[in-house]
Amino acid sequence: MDHQATGEVLKNLLTVAWLLPLAGFVAEIYWLRWSNRLSKSSALCAVACIGIGFLCSASALVYWGCHTDWAVLKAEEHAEHHDAEAHDHHGEAAPAQAADATAAVDAAHEPGDAAGHPKQDEHKESHADARKAYSGTFYKLAQFGKLSLSLDWYIDSLTLMMFTMVTFIATCIHLFAIGYMKEELTEEYEDHQVHTSHGHFSRPGRFHRFFSYLSLFCFSMLGLVLAGNIFQVFIFWELVGISSYLLIGFYIERKSASNAANKAFIMNRVGDFGFLIGLMILWTWCGTFQFDNTEAGPGLFTMIRGTDGVMDVSEDGKQVFLQDAHGHRLENDGKPSTIGYLLLVAAGLGVFAGCIGKSAQFPLQTWLPDAMEGPTPVSALVHSATMVAAGVYLAARFYPVFVPEVLLVIAYIGCITLFVAATIALVATDIKRVLAYSTISQLGYMMLAIGVGGWGAGLFHLVTHAFFKSLMFLCSGSVIAGCHHVQEMPRMGGLRRKMPITAYTMLIGVIAISGLAIPVLNIGFSGFYSKDAIVASALAYSELNPVHILLFITPLVTAGITAFYMFRLWFLTFYGEPRDQHVYDHCDESPRVMTTPLIALSILAATCAWGWFLTSGAGEEGPLYRMIAFSETVPATEQVKSVGPAKIILPSHQGHHSDVHKVHGQAGLLALLAAFAGSTFAYVIYGARVINPNDIRRQFPQAYDFLVDKWRFDVLYDAMFVQPVHIVSAWCAGFDKKVLDVILHASASITLVVSKWDRLFDENMVDGLVNMVGSTTRSVGYSLKVVQTGRLRQYVMWIAVGVVVLFGLLFTSLPK
Amino acid sequence: MFSSEFLLTAIVFLPAVWSLGLLAFDSQNKESMRYWTVLGTALTFVLTLQLWGSFDPAQAGMQHKFSVPWIPTWNVNFTLGVDGISLPLVVLTGLVSLLAAIASWSIDKHVKGYLILFLILETGMMGVFLSLDFFLFYVFWEVMLLPMYFLIGVWGGPRREYAAIKFFLYTLAGGVLMLIAMLMFYFNSGMSFDLLELADIAAGNIPAGKDKVVPFSEALQLAAFIMLFIGFAIKLPSFPFHTWLPDAHVEAPTPISMILAGVLLKMGGYGIIRIAMPLCPYGAQYCAYFLVALGVFSIIYGAFAAMAQTDFKRLVAYSSVSHMGYVLLGLAVWKITDGKTSGADYWAMGINAAMFQMIAHGISSTGMFFMVGVLYDRVHHRDLNKFGGIAQLMPEYSGLAAVIFFAGLGLPGLCGFVGEIFSVLSCWNFSPLLAIIAASGVILTAGYILWTMQRVYLGPEYKGPHPEGIIPFLPRERLVAYTLVIFAIVFGVFPNILFKPMNKSISHLVQSMSHTYDTHHGAAATVQTTQVTQ
Repeated sequence: MDHQATGEVLKNLLTVAWLLPLAGFVAEIYWLRWSNRLSKSSALCAVACIGIGFLCSASALVYWGCHTDWAVLKAEEHAEHHDAEAHDHHGEAAPAQAADATAAVDAAHEPGDAAGHPKQDEHKESHADARKAYSGTFYKLAQFGKLSLSLDWYIDSLTLMMFTMVTFIATCIHLFAIGYMKEELTEEYEDHQVHTSHGHFSRPGRFHRFFSYLSLFCFSMLGLVLAGNIFQVFIFWELVGISSYLLIGFYIERKSASNAANKAFIMNRVGDFGFLIGLMILWTWCGTFQFDNTEAGPGLFTMIRGTDGVMDVSEDGKQVFLQDAHGHRLENDGKPSTIGYLLLVAAGLGVFAGCIGKSAQFPLQTWLPDAMEGPTPVSALVHSATMVAAGVYLAARFYPVFVPEVLLVIAYIGCITLFVAATIALVATDIKRVLAYSTISQLGYMMLAIGVGGWGAGLFHLVTHAFFKSLMFLCSGSVIAGCHHVQEMPRMGGLRRKMPITAYTMLIGVIAISGLAIPVLNIGFSGFYSKDAIVASALAYSELNPVHILLFITPLVTAGITAFYMFRLWFLTFYGEPRDQHVYDHCDESPRVMTTPLIALSILAATCAWGWFLTSGAGEEGPLYRMIAFSETVPATEQVKSVGPAKIILPSHQGHHSDVHKVHGQAGLLALLAAFAGSTFAYVIYGARVINPNDIRRQFPQAYDFLVDKWRFDVLYDAMFVQPVHIVSAWCAGFDKKVLDVILHASASITLVVSKWDRLFDENMVDGLVNMVGSTTRSVGYSLKVVQTGRLRQYVMWIAVGVVVLFGLLFTSLPK
Repeated sequence: MFSSEFLLTAIVFLPAVWSLGLLAFDSQNKESMRYWTVLGTALTFVLTLQLWGSFDPAQAGMQHKFSVPWIPTWNVNFTLGVDGISLPLVVLTGLVSLLAAIASWSIDKHVKGYLILFLILETGMMGVFLSLDFFLFYVFWEVMLLPMYFLIGVWGGPRREYAAIKFFLYTLAGGVLMLIAMLMFYFNSGMSFDLLELADIAAGNIPAGKDKVVPFSEALQLAAFIMLFIGFAIKLPSFPFHTWLPDAHVEAPTPISMILAGVLLKMGGYGIIRIAMPLCPYGAQYCAYFLVALGVFSIIYGAFAAMAQTDFKRLVAYSSVSHMGYVLLGLAVWKITDGKTSGADYWAMGINAAMFQMIAHGISSTGMFFMVGVLYDRVHHRDLNKFGGIAQLMPEYSGLAAVIFFAGLGLPGLCGFVGEIFSVLSCWNFSPLLAIIAASGVILTAGYILWTMQRVYLGPEYKGPHPEGIIPFLPRERLVAYTLVIFAIVFGVFPNILFKPMNKSISHLVQSMSHTYDTHHGAAATVQTTQVTQ
């Protein structure tokens, strides 16, 4: 079947998976119109939508696997069957496929083990020849001359993997939420955290609304992944933001929840401001937002990277030439089209600013812990596994546009974040907050990986983290539901006896995130492999760029811290003796609708990085990683030397002679050591209780307070941004009232004064003058009246006198 | 179906003629008069839809154009016509008038007088958007002013007289400036009020039989542009001419606020596109940077000012100042490099975005004022600090209000997003600095809108006065709200519905203006003059 037809099928499958939750959202928001408040049917509708979505995504993945060029990457089949395995957990897979899987796997491993070189060559060919991505357009949003904006789709193995992962986790979490949110199935839900003037607050349950928001989120998230241009990513970026806003603020009556929702949305908007700047630059200089080439012209990736993955930079290093679909320079009016190198840096940093906001990276990390105000299934789905990982996803997707300087910033941001968040997690006592900080920290790892050129490693960690973190959040949800909304770990303890399934599935998650493994055999849970890959990339990077050695040391140290605080969480919650007998006595294991998703997720959290056989082909040899790596862009696989001012060398990691491979064993050993050290330390303090943690706390009171205050970011931001904004806004409003309106009123009163004067002038001067003329005439008339005597003799005399005077005048004034 | 003459004339005059019918009603029979008015506005809306249906988006020029001599002595003609720029605004006017008529049930004082003025106002608005004769335009502009004055001054809130006079004087001042500019063009064009002919003269295409007329000089263009711009900027409103708006909105009754925000503000933007820019291309280009900067400043300033308000309606009014800043920004991103227009596509995108923003704001702002009005009708106050918990009491209303406010916030999938983002995107080509400042508006907008929603809708209980007055959504209100929400979603998801009819006319405008500038005022013109002197 040809390329286009395959793409169409994939598109149709994924579009169904994408749009079903939207239909679900619309139906569920009006659910009360055709059902009652006590019915679970809205949840079933949501589960059906996302479940069918999962089936579609999984079949798309299988279909893609069947239509991929096997000669290029044989390991693909492996991945496909692995996914079929995921099906099995739901009993929906076709078991027939399992039979030929073994044969395929054997074939798959040979070339990889035999020699690195030929394989690498094959890869190169595949980059050059086989188009790995399918893309197309849904419909046009607008067209202005040559500029065109549309809704597109772009499908490659990364898209498919994200779709399958998101829909699978979402299905699990929807199921879990049916149990977790059942308290909402009531006409009178009493919220003990809210107080009104009449005492306790109660309201009708909002079960259906919770599921409608979840569906809206799924729609937005899948749209983000399917997006075929960066503008469309931005659209869905905002939509996941609003879904997150609605879900964090689900308990609208709680002030803390609505504050957290506002904070999340506004801090994300700060990142989006940067994103928008990135978009503006690309839009102005490249004139397109498309990822892939279209009939109208080359896409962004080709423009910047050409067909061979190499940027065409001018000799002085200041301009980057844009390239067309054949690798030639684009021209505009006879002049080559270029974009300034620094502008490209700015565009990359701008887009990455959006990722910082969404993935809660330093310095915009503070919204995520507060977002834990939302119900726990939300924390599991939105704020750990999917939405917050969207930042990492975008950084990976947009990799071809990032120049090494941008990657360096990404690496350092990730590095700072992973450390800061891990240290705060050390002292947090709220079970969900510990997980929230650990999420931030792990996202930092992913960012770091992408920044140091470990493209595949970062995304690998994204997937494994999604599984084990959503698992752990659901476990914490199970604990919280079991303990009747107690979230403070100091009040727990010993819960493993009451809720064994939760406790041991959680333990799987803890081991996975800590990166523990059996030393010599190198067999561990998923997190071990992905963290290993990240640390190896970081080590290779710092060996090539010795100045940036911190980028290796920090994640290594933090790996130990991670193991410590995660085991601390587990020991505090499940191990030892109960510290609050009341909580312990009322605690029960959750119902099956909640534990089944836990088991399903724990299996994947443990195994998703494994190969078909435990002994061979796990981790970076495994199917999951290979499938991700299939979408890898060229500059991510080969060694790249930066032409920019930072003089970076990105390590290569393709094949057995690559920079990363050389240091892999060394890095893995160090990471494992750190993990063991951390977990042992946690056992000593919180498990065996040899050392009293309070003593340590008393030793370093200032450091402890600093960490409990979350490095005082909230205080700082409040003083730096929130207060000034309020002040400026008061100024603006005041300016209108006190300046503009005063000027206006002043001119009005001046007009009044002038008109008053005018009136005075009129009345006194003008009227006075007229009156004067009148009265003068009158008085003259009166005085002349005296002369009119009516006596004839007097008149004759006056005439005579007059004649004499006239003559006198005549004679005196006439010229001689 | 109808002839052009009939269709356009009917759209303009149907409301006014309809208002005569109201005279036949008994003054006590308020209900029937309201229905009569709704029927009249609905018919007008149907006619505007008919106009949309018969409009050919592939044509750039005027359609349905016709001209009848009106005052032959002064060469004033009754010329009407529609193109892609006026069409969406005409339909918007029809829609907003209909919705405002439906929202007019809350008016209980002198209903007959109110409705008559309301319908005359609609005639004025339609006339402004459809007239192609400057004199006629001016007449309709002033016709619209008087009913508005009375509608605010008689049916308004406690400070209604102050607000009405402020509104009146501001608009009148703008009108006077427009009058002067109009006469300047009239006497420099061989006595013509025809807007198309004036635009031709400005472009250097002297019509046959006017041999003595020369293209408008640069000084004339500049002076006229400044006067026209101030006149229209008052209406838009742009900083620093905006202070009439919050007062007018706060005092005006809900339906009049809807019309004011939904339609009247658009006349400012429309006037700039239809009159100020084509008649003075040189002036427009000369002032472009100032215009964009003013637009950007209005965006930020309006957002800041909105954040400090405690009166719900005042807040929405300031959000209008902020949102209309995008219109000014988009209109003026006309970049000249080396004396030649460069990146004309980006400019066309900007004007398209500005037009879209006007329609989108017409939907979202109308909706916001309506939503405030729904609450005000119940609790009779608008103090933001005395709300809270409305979502618990009126869930459906709050949900719809949230959609409308999100449209104002610029959420993708809703109409506000497209206008804002497209105008900002088009701006980098013109000035990166201004583009960055404009983009920062997204943070402030999110800030004040979310904070407002939190104070009004969220929270456990309503603590303000008149809690007993809070009754569920009425069917009539639901109709208005759903209509607006549906339009907000449709325009947000399929923006091309609006861009398609506008596109050709706007590209034509951009081409002719940049051609005019490049040949008569830009580098090419300078080269020509030097050659002549040599």
